Amino acid sequence: MKHLFLMLFLLSSIYSQSQEKFTLSGTIKDSTNGETLLGATVYLKDTSIGSITNEYGFFSLTALKGNYTLIISYVGYESYSQELTLNKDQKLNIELKASSTALDEVIITAEESEMVSIRKPQMSVSKLNSKTIKEMPAVLGEVDVVKSIQLLPGVTNNGEGSAGFHVRGGAADQNLVLLDEAIIYNTSHFFGFFSVFNADAIKNIKLYKGDIPAKYGGRVSSVLDVRQKDGNSKQFELNGGIGLISSRLAAESPLFKDKGSFLVAGRASYAHLFMPLIEEVEDDKISFYDLNLKTNYELNKNNRLYLSGYFGRDVFNLSKIIENNYGNATGNLRWNHVFNDKLFSNLSFIYSKYDYQILLDFIELDWTADITNLNLKYDLGYYVNNNLKLDFGISGLTYNVNPGEVKPASESSSINYLKLDEKRAFEGAAYISAEHQITDKLTVNYGLRYSAFSRLGGQSITHYVNNQPVIYNSDLGIYERGEEAGETYYSKSKSIKIFGNFEPRLGLSYQLNELSSVKASYTKSTQYLHLLSNTSSVTPLDVWTPSGEYIKPQISNQFALGYYKTFKDNTYALELETYYKHVDNRIDYIDGSSLIGNNNIETEILNGEARAYGLEVLFRKNKGNFTGWLAYTLSKSEQRALGGNAGGPGINNGDWYNTPYDRTHDISLTGVYKLNDKWRFSSNFVFQTGRPVTYPNGQYTYEGLSVATYSNRNEDRLPAYHRLDISATFIPNKNSDKRWKSEWVFGIYNVYNRKNAASVSFNQNRETGLNEATRISIFGLIPSVTYNFKF
Amino acid sequence: MTRYIIAILILSLSLTSCEDVIDVDVPTAQPRLVIEASLDWEKGTTGNEQTIMLSMSTPYFETDQNTSVTNATVTVTNDDTGDVFSFTNQNDGTYTTTSFMPILNNTYSLEVFHNGETYEATETLMSVSDINDVTQSTEGGFDDELLELNLYFDDPANVENHYLIKYDVEGDMFPYLEARSDEFVDGNEIHDFFEKDDDEDGEETPFEAGDVVNISLYGISEQYYNFMRLLIEQYDSQGDPFSSNAAQVRGNCINPTHPENYAFGYFRVTQVDKQTYTFQ
Repeated sequence: MKHLFLMLFLLSSIYSQSQEKFTLSGTIKDSTNGETLLGATVYLKDTSIGSITNEYGFFSLTALKGNYTLIISYVGYESYSQELTLNKDQKLNIELKASSTALDEVIITAEESEMVSIRKPQMSVSKLNSKTIKEMPAVLGEVDVVKSIQLLPGVTNNGEGSAGFHVRGGAADQNLVLLDEAIIYNTSHFFGFFSVFNADAIKNIKLYKGDIPAKYGGRVSSVLDVRQKDGNSKQFELNGGIGLISSRLAAESPLFKDKGSFLVAGRASYAHLFMPLIEEVEDDKISFYDLNLKTNYELNKNNRLYLSGYFGRDVFNLSKIIENNYGNATGNLRWNHVFNDKLFSNLSFIYSKYDYQILLDFIELDWTADITNLNLKYDLGYYVNNNLKLDFGISGLTYNVNPGEVKPASESSSINYLKLDEKRAFEGAAYISAEHQITDKLTVNYGLRYSAFSRLGGQSITHYVNNQPVIYNSDLGIYERGEEAGETYYSKSKSIKIFGNFEPRLGLSYQLNELSSVKASYTKSTQYLHLLSNTSSVTPLDVWTPSGEYIKPQISNQFALGYYKTFKDNTYALELETYYKHVDNRIDYIDGSSLIGNNNIETEILNGEARAYGLEVLFRKNKGNFTGWLAYTLSKSEQRALGGNAGGPGINNGDWYNTPYDRTHDISLTGVYKLNDKWRFSSNFVFQTGRPVTYPNGQYTYEGLSVATYSNRNEDRLPAYHRLDISATFIPNKNSDKRWKSEWVFGIYNVYNRKNAASVSFNQNRETGLNEATRISIFGLIPSVTYNFKF
Repeated sequence: MTRYIIAILILSLSLTSCEDVIDVDVPTAQPRLVIEASLDWEKGTTGNEQTIMLSMSTPYFETDQNTSVTNATVTVTNDDTGDVFSFTNQNDGTYTTTSFMPILNNTYSLEVFHNGETYEATETLMSVSDINDVTQSTEGGFDDELLELNLYFDDPANVENHYLIKYDVEGDMFPYLEARSDEFVDGNEIHDFFEKDDDEDGEETPFEAGDVVNISLYGISEQYYNFMRLLIEQYDSQGDPFSSNAAQVRGNCINPTHPENYAFGYFRVTQVDKQTYTFQ
């Protein structure tokens, strides 16, 4: 049925194209550095004909023969207008002037300028560009993409010092994080204190919390699409900063007589250089670095190549006892090809890898694990007419997961060699989606994605008696490992298991008037890869595992409804959204599960489900000396796992229980005040309901120790989390004509020094014998100073 | 392995974090019977004398620990031979026998009758290797400047073995427990070390010459290993951000008529090798 409707829509819109029409297409760029601008609005004045530039700055629009005024607008840039006679197909490459110098701009925008944002069906998306991110107060002065998005409604963290982020009650592994289209498996440095994205190398970020476009797939909660800068194509540019924790340097320059440009950006921590000076940590070494690369080359007017890469690494060496290092590496080669003024295409070949190593000196153990994937994808955009734009494409993705290899670190080690089974898989997808303006007021986005997943051989699969990897021990009331009943070896050319799923996507926008609209969306998505973690915080040492014989793909269905209004010439904007999300096949861990070094994860898990619902409010002030936003989220996130094939009632008696990322209330207030050309102040305040945890409900004495007893999972909560940060930016030579421009950023994180509990642990004091609750709080009041420069 | 990983994460966290003791309201569950039935046959002895302790659980922050159960009857049966051992109520929460007959790999059943309810458990007597050697050193362990104790014993090859190691330092309030399996080290000589930290809040002080440590190496069942592994993990690190989610650790003492009314604790039957070491 769905396909029939799609066909009808397509036919009706193509059919209506009868009068003489011409197409205007081109690219929009920044006039100072030649960066392509994505999300800029291009429209013909006094008509409803318009277009939004895509990820490569390309637009296309079609109109009847005639005279028009072309207007291009992009927040943070001066509006551009041009008289135009449309009597043939035309190409226009236009450069927009930034509305003031680059180091000094505050831009907070929803999807794009008001003209189309009210109209466009895309909802549940948040966009920040690197300038906005740089404005916000940051812990230790480290500008942080992931922490910035946590100030938006529906996005939370899992406590300070925990990796990842949570969108609409989803888990950290349910976010698809892309850096120039390459999957980033671990988004953090220092076990979650800082994110891996160097703001100097980032052009902008988009977070889809729902209504996920059909071109994205593979995760059920959200998509964080981070795009790197292309590099200045006009002149050589140097950006840098010196901070307390790390320093940054980014160089950009035109290449090959303006046919191309490049960007090289590096960031490295240097705390380890000072550690030898402090006696307590003289043998420790903790450091991280990032290297971002991007270059592009224009072969001719219709063909452009892009090459981008990212390499990051963390190194820990604690008293030469424990050595641990981990990091991401990605690369992407892209070929943009414009077939004609209506058909745009991009072919990408993408590599990404995440790996870690642990060396435990005292037991002479060397542990490594990694996940690698290769992705070939081809995406096309077809501007059929002004009422219809099609996106379609295909993608093939291979996974190679090495969950663990244990080696003796020396000849005298008592450790035996062990390698857990390598896991291989292939994920293929094809999609088509249409953005279709049906009437002046109603616009519809409808799309369909088909994904297929094959878990490939090259390993053995264990069988269990009665096909039960986990069985319920009804005597003891616990879940236990099932009894093994042989195994089957699958050769590399064989599939162990194949899955296929249709994923329809639908978005509707109805414009109530020029200033307000309502939108609704439905998204179905499938996730074939799971991060194994039975701890309350995700760690860099968690292992990914593909779906297969015993682990089914997660499938989510999300419904969202929203209301959008702007006031006073777009000075203020209000966004209200509600959502309901249900995820099938969310794996859950039996009590006492042991995941590390386990070749048979299926003996530790049950097949569960999750659901989340909530209300999000975002109120923004976009213009003036004072800008900022208030975000409030009221939400619930729960999960459960029934016994199913394993028998018994299930985990937590089969009852729904709070996920660790359930936050009843989440409030963020962010503001930036520009006092004058030299001084700017910013602040944010965050309040969150405490994280659900399980507290003891009793004790007994065993082996002389006080042993805690527990009831149901996550019935208690940590104390509420709140904090206030402030920062001030001083620009000494604002109006000078020197090329060297600089600024000082002074910040205070957690101004009233609240001891927010990252965790509360319950222990028996070995000296007094009494039980006590110990709070671990990570960041108290932290002052910082950062010097940024641009040349 | 898990504990080392947790150690890494906690160590890294501790570089920036601060810890303090706070007041927390915790829920309170109904009291439950606690059975500490540890029938341990020390190598070189007859193993005839055994004690079982019964008590009740209390609220988490309760400091009055006098919850001895003095109105129960306790018997243990050797399921292979049919021998029945009745334990004598000492009216202080302990129940004793002087006629227990330990036989390796035999299965024993426990029956406790208390307040009209019957509690049952079964367990098999597991053997254990001899302790090969106990030494002291400084350069091993976590800290190269602190004394640690090294324990060596042989793991039998091609069979899954599980161990409970108890270090009881004379003068300390509490023993240190470790559950080990032969995962990664099957058939090798196993080396375990025990080093006390230089704890800043004074809860622990490093070993010094003259310190006396009583070492017990128990051979235990896989089920008891799982019980102790979780119990120790939760005792050491419950609530730490990287520990697994806390959950009730279930022992093997069941109530067949009212399953939800099970008892805490465990009925274990083990062989144990003991040594005492004095630091030089």
